Amino acid sequence: MTGMIEARELVKHFGGRRHLMSRKPTVYAVNGVSFAVQQGETFAIVGESGCGKSTLGRLLLRLIDATQGQVIYQGKDITQLDAGAMRRLRREMQIVFQDPFASLNPSMTIGRIIGEPIELHDLARGQARRERVAELLRTVGLQPDYVDRFPHEFSGGQRQRIGIARALAGEPRLIVADEPVSALDVSVQAQVINLLEQLKQELGLTLIMVAHDLAVIRHMSDRVAVMYLGEIVEMAHVDDLFDNPLHPYTQILLQAIPVSHPQQRRERLALTGDLPSPTALPSGCRFHPRCPHAKPLCREQKPVNECLPDGRQLACHFWREIQNQGAGAPLIPSVSDKLAQRLVIYKERQAATPKGDPHA
Amino acid sequence: MTRPTARQPVLEVTGLSLKFSRDADVPNLVDEVTFSVSEGETLCIVGESGCGKSVTSLALMGLLPAPPANIVSGTVRFDGLDLLTLSERAFADIRGNRISMIFQEPMTSLNPAFTVGHQIAECVQRHRGLSRLEARVEALALLRLVRIPAPESRLDAYPHELSGGMRQRVMIAMALANRPKLLIADEPTTALDVTIQAQVLSLIRNLQAETGTALVLITHDLGVVAEVADHVAVMYAGRIVEYGTVAEIFDDPQHPYTIGLMGAIPSIGKRQGTLATIGGSVPSPERMPKGCRFAPRCPFAQAQCIAAAPPDLRLTQTHRVACWAAPVEHAINMSMLEATS
Repeated sequence: MTGMIEARELVKHFGGRRHLMSRKPTVYAVNGVSFAVQQGETFAIVGESGCGKSTLGRLLLRLIDATQGQVIYQGKDITQLDAGAMRRLRREMQIVFQDPFASLNPSMTIGRIIGEPIELHDLARGQARRERVAELLRTVGLQPDYVDRFPHEFSGGQRQRIGIARALAGEPRLIVADEPVSALDVSVQAQVINLLEQLKQELGLTLIMVAHDLAVIRHMSDRVAVMYLGEIVEMAHVDDLFDNPLHPYTQILLQAIPVSHPQQRRERLALTGDLPSPTALPSGCRFHPRCPHAKPLCREQKPVNECLPDGRQLACHFWREIQNQGAGAPLIPSVSDKLAQRLVIYKERQAATPKGDPHA
Repeated sequence: MTRPTARQPVLEVTGLSLKFSRDADVPNLVDEVTFSVSEGETLCIVGESGCGKSVTSLALMGLLPAPPANIVSGTVRFDGLDLLTLSERAFADIRGNRISMIFQEPMTSLNPAFTVGHQIAECVQRHRGLSRLEARVEALALLRLVRIPAPESRLDAYPHELSGGMRQRVMIAMALANRPKLLIADEPTTALDVTIQAQVLSLIRNLQAETGTALVLITHDLGVVAEVADHVAVMYAGRIVEYGTVAEIFDDPQHPYTIGLMGAIPSIGKRQGTLATIGGSVPSPERMPKGCRFAPRCPFAQAQCIAAAPPDLRLTQTHRVACWAAPVEHAINMSMLEATS
C-alpha cells in the first residue's frame, strides 16, 4: 500500500477578526490533526456534532484553506498550489455531501449535473459525453433516461446516487464522503452503503468517510479516527477500536450506541454535561471536564499522542490504568437463529429476483 | 424486561383509517391501524419516512385539521373517552394535560420569543390553574426533574441559548408537566448525538417508571426500539404489517419488511458481509399498490400478494403479521414444490 493523502498538523480556526467595536470569538474547529491514508483504504473520521470532522474533510480537499499545517496528496503539498493546478487536481479528489436535497442544483437537469465535471475537465464531448453520463447513471443503479429530469423528481436515496455519479464523473482516485447516508431511511441507507463499497472495489477508490453513525463506520471502514473538539483522541484499526476501545471518550461513545437486542438492555456509563464550546477550549486534555476518570493532571497537562505496537494512536494520560479497571468492554450483538435463517432466505430470494429499476 | 400486560389499556386504537381526501377512490394514508398501550408500558411504532407514523400520532392528538384530513373509520379510546368524537374545546383540556407530545425538532416546537421558564409555566397554569409564582416554582422543579444543570439560571434562558439535548429536555419537562396518562414521542432523539440520545432515552425511561405514563414512541431506529419498547408495531405505507412484544419482533420477525429492516442495519459487531437491502422506495400516496402495499419491494411477492391485501395472521396472543408468505421459510418450500410439480 502506498500513501494517498496525509494531514500534517492541520489547524483551522474561524472568526477572531477584529471589528470596529467588537471582536468575534475564535472558533477552534481543528487543532493540530495528523494522519495518513493509504491507497485503497476506507478511513473513517467519527465524532459528535461540532467536533470538527466536517471541517477536517473539507480541509483535506482544500475546499477551505487551513490556518496552519499541510495536506500532502500523493507526496505533494497541495496547501500551496495555485488555483489552476488545484482545479486540475480536483478531478482526482471528490466529495459526496450529506444532504442530497441541498447539494444538487435544482435548476439543472441530472444530465447537466453529472456532465458538468466531464465538461470542466474536458474529458469527453458531444455524443461521447452523453454516453459517459448514461454509463455513470447505470453505474450508480439509475436508469440512463433520467438525464432530462430535475432533482426534485427524485427521492433522497436516488439523489444521493446522483451525487455519487457526479463525484465519479471525473474518474477520481479519492472520495471524501461527508455523512453520505445519514439523511436516508434505513433500507435506502443500506442500498447506498452497498453501492459505495462496490464502487470502491471496482474503481480502486480511496474513501474517507466523515460520519457519526458508529455502526455504519464499523461496517465500512478499515481504520477509524475518533475526534473530540478538533483533535483526534484515538485512531486505530476498526476491529481494535470497536473490540477494545482505550480512550475514555471512545469507550463512552461506543457504550452510547443503542443495543441491538432487547435482552442486552443495561445501565450504562453516561456522558455528563454538554460539549464545551469550541470558542473556549478546556485546558489540558480537552475531554477532562466530562471524563469519568479525570485526575488533576488532566486539567493541567495536555496528553501526548502515544503510538502503540498495534499501530494505534491514543492521547490519554491514564489509559493503562483505565484499561486495567476493565472499562470499555463491548457488547457482542446477538441475532436469533430464526432471524439469521430468514435473513439468508431473504438475501437469496432478493438475489434471485430480476433487478429492474423499481422507481420507474 | 417486558412488563405484564394484564393492565387496562390507556389508549386503544381500533381500525383507524384516514386520508387527506373525500374521494372514495383515493387509498387510505393510514389504513386499519389497531394497537393499544397500557399504563407504564411503551409501544414503539417503527417505520421509515412516509409510512404514516407521524400522521397517526397527530390524529391521536387531534392535531389534524379536518378538512383536509378525513377520518374514514375507526375508534380511538383514551381513558374511557372516544377521542374522535370529542369537541375541539374538550380536546384542548386533554391535550398537554392528560395526553402530551414530544416532537422531533425541539428548536421548532419551542417558541423562540419566550423563556423556557415561561413556556413550562404556561402549561401548568393553563391546566392546573396555578398562580404565576406557583407555576414558576413548578417549572423549576420540572427542570430539575429532567436533570438540567443549574436549573435556576435556565428558567430565564431563551431556547436558542440551550443546546439541542437541553432543548429536548425542556420539551420533555413540558410534556410531563401535568403528569399525563399518555405521552406520544415522535422521533424524540433523532436530531441528537448518540451520547445525548442515550441520556434522553434513560431519562424518559426513568421518568416513566416514576409516573406510570403510557408511552407511544415513534422511531425509525431499531436500536431505540431494542432499548425501550415493550411492544412494537412495524408500519409500512400506512399499515401495521407486524405487531408483537419486543422479544417476538427481534427473535422471530415474520414480515419480509421487518426482516429486511433488521438486515439493513449494519452491526456494531464484526462485519458480516454485505447488508440486506429493500429494493426501491416507499410508494407515494397516489400510487399505493392495491394488494399488499409492500409487494412491489418484496422478494417473496407472488400473484396473490398483488391481488389482495393479506389479512392479519395471529401467531400468538400478542404477535400478528399481515403477510401471505409468512413465515418465509414456509414460502420457500412452497415455491420449491411448485417448481418440482
